[in-house]
Amino acid sequence: MISIRNVSKSYENAESAAVRDLSFDVPTGEVVVLIGPSGCGKSTTMRMVNRLVEPDAGTITIDGQDVREYRPEQLRRRIGYAIQGVGLFPHWTVAQNVAVVPGLLGWERDRIAERTTELLDLVGLEPDAYGGKYPHELSGGEAQRVGVARALAADPPVLLMDEPFGAVDPLTRDRLHVEFLAIQDRLKKTVMFVTHDMDEAVALGDRIVVMRDGMLVQQDTPERVLAYPADEFVASFVGTERALKRLSLAPVTEALAPVGLAEGCQCSVSATASLREALARILELGVPAIGVHDERHRLIGAVSVESIVERFKRPLT
Amino acid sequence: MLALGAYLAVAAATPLWTAALGAAFPGEMRILYPDAAPLELVAQHLELVLISSAISIAVGLALGVFVTRPAGAGFYDVVNDLTNLGQTFPPVAVFTLAVPFLGFGLRPTVVALALYGILPVLRNTVAGLKGVPAEVLESATGMGMRPAERLLRVELPLAAPVIVAGIRVSVVVNVATATIGAIAGAGGFGAPIINGLVNLAPAITLEGALLAAGLALVLDALLGGVEHTLASGRPSAV
Repeated sequence: MISIRNVSKSYENAESAAVRDLSFDVPTGEVVVLIGPSGCGKSTTMRMVNRLVEPDAGTITIDGQDVREYRPEQLRRRIGYAIQGVGLFPHWTVAQNVAVVPGLLGWERDRIAERTTELLDLVGLEPDAYGGKYPHELSGGEAQRVGVARALAADPPVLLMDEPFGAVDPLTRDRLHVEFLAIQDRLKKTVMFVTHDMDEAVALGDRIVVMRDGMLVQQDTPERVLAYPADEFVASFVGTERALKRLSLAPVTEALAPVGLAEGCQCSVSATASLREALARILELGVPAIGVHDERHRLIGAVSVESIVERFKRPLT
Repeated sequence: MLALGAYLAVAAATPLWTAALGAAFPGEMRILYPDAAPLELVAQHLELVLISSAISIAVGLALGVFVTRPAGAGFYDVVNDLTNLGQTFPPVAVFTLAVPFLGFGLRPTVVALALYGILPVLRNTVAGLKGVPAEVLESATGMGMRPAERLLRVELPLAAPVIVAGIRVSVVVNVATATIGAIAGAGGFGAPIINGLVNLAPAITLEGALLAAGLALVLDALLGGVEHTLASGRPSAV
């Protein structure tokens, strides 16, 4: 667990503090997304965890250990770090880039080679095809995959990710999100993730910490941030489409109505689909309701516009 | 390397020089510099250039690295001004001023040439190091490289093509400037050039000038090759 306790930081020549008396936790194995407009202090907060920035006040601990007890280099080698723009070393191959931290930690050659292959596989890059390539030969999405592989190289329990999927087109970004969640599902890292994109925060976060002017405005699950924004600022940041974002978080099974509703409609969606997908299908087909099937293609219920509306009248727990 | 070999072979062929310059200046009795054969002049000149350029490169690199570190950033302007001044100061004056302290011969010449050659190396070292993308530095530090590891494994390799380009300029200019060393009695290609000037023997001046131009071209090609290899093998930082 990463614990931020009463942390403050001011930069010289700055009018106001970058971070003010900030406290929150990143529980072990969870993804906490820091979100806010540029200059809200989210990147500064992240950079204080691996001591690229030193706080003026407060403490930061990882699994109970104060980060100041480590030498900065030792600390950083135990924390995965992925940033916007990736920052791959242009004079090294993909394999050499991934091997940086294991190399710094003095791993044996064979172990590094094995680990590099394993990681490129993990992020969906064919090791034989990509290991020998140079960064300038990669597409934006491929470079960001290598960036993630590099951050995971020494199997650090904690990952810091500062808009790691920032510079790619929306389609690629969605794919990277799906892959990241699949990896996280397996590896269960403790992840602090910075973004300014609410869709990304909702898609990836177990919890969301909304920041403004160096202070925490709201921290909660994505569902609750969307349903109950703490104030006007969060509401405006969440955006006018927050209802649709909520739909994309909820599986159709949460608004399941009797099968009879979808009688006469030959179509159905999978039980793993989101309510947003179901609603889109309903609008597309011009029907009042649509069936829901399980993995064996048996109808288990239906979803209608009414059942979706009802679902959102219920308070969230 | 081939070019260097060819150059040395031509310089060693003293009869060839006599024949060629004799044909260019028919009726002229004084054809070649009398005190040293062309190859000896090359040896003297190379000694001047190699020692002074080695000092220029070492000092220029060290200063360039120093002023781009956090600890040395405050010295950037001072160092830049001083080296600019060093280059605007005529080398002849540097020789003259250095002679009372260092005597005649190789030493004052090497000092003046070394000072004169620092600027291009320094300027390109700074440009090369500052050209390393910020996110590359950020990720190097963020992954736990020590400052020295970052410098040696990331910054200098990425800045290398730009730094070598600066070294190339410094060395090539040095070959021409070193001819002034003859004034301080350091020998080299300046000796025949001045000898020809003083004795109104144009063939002797031409001998020195051709040797100097040839060496400059050869070293330029050699370092250009290094630069090209560094730049094409992988993308540079700038």
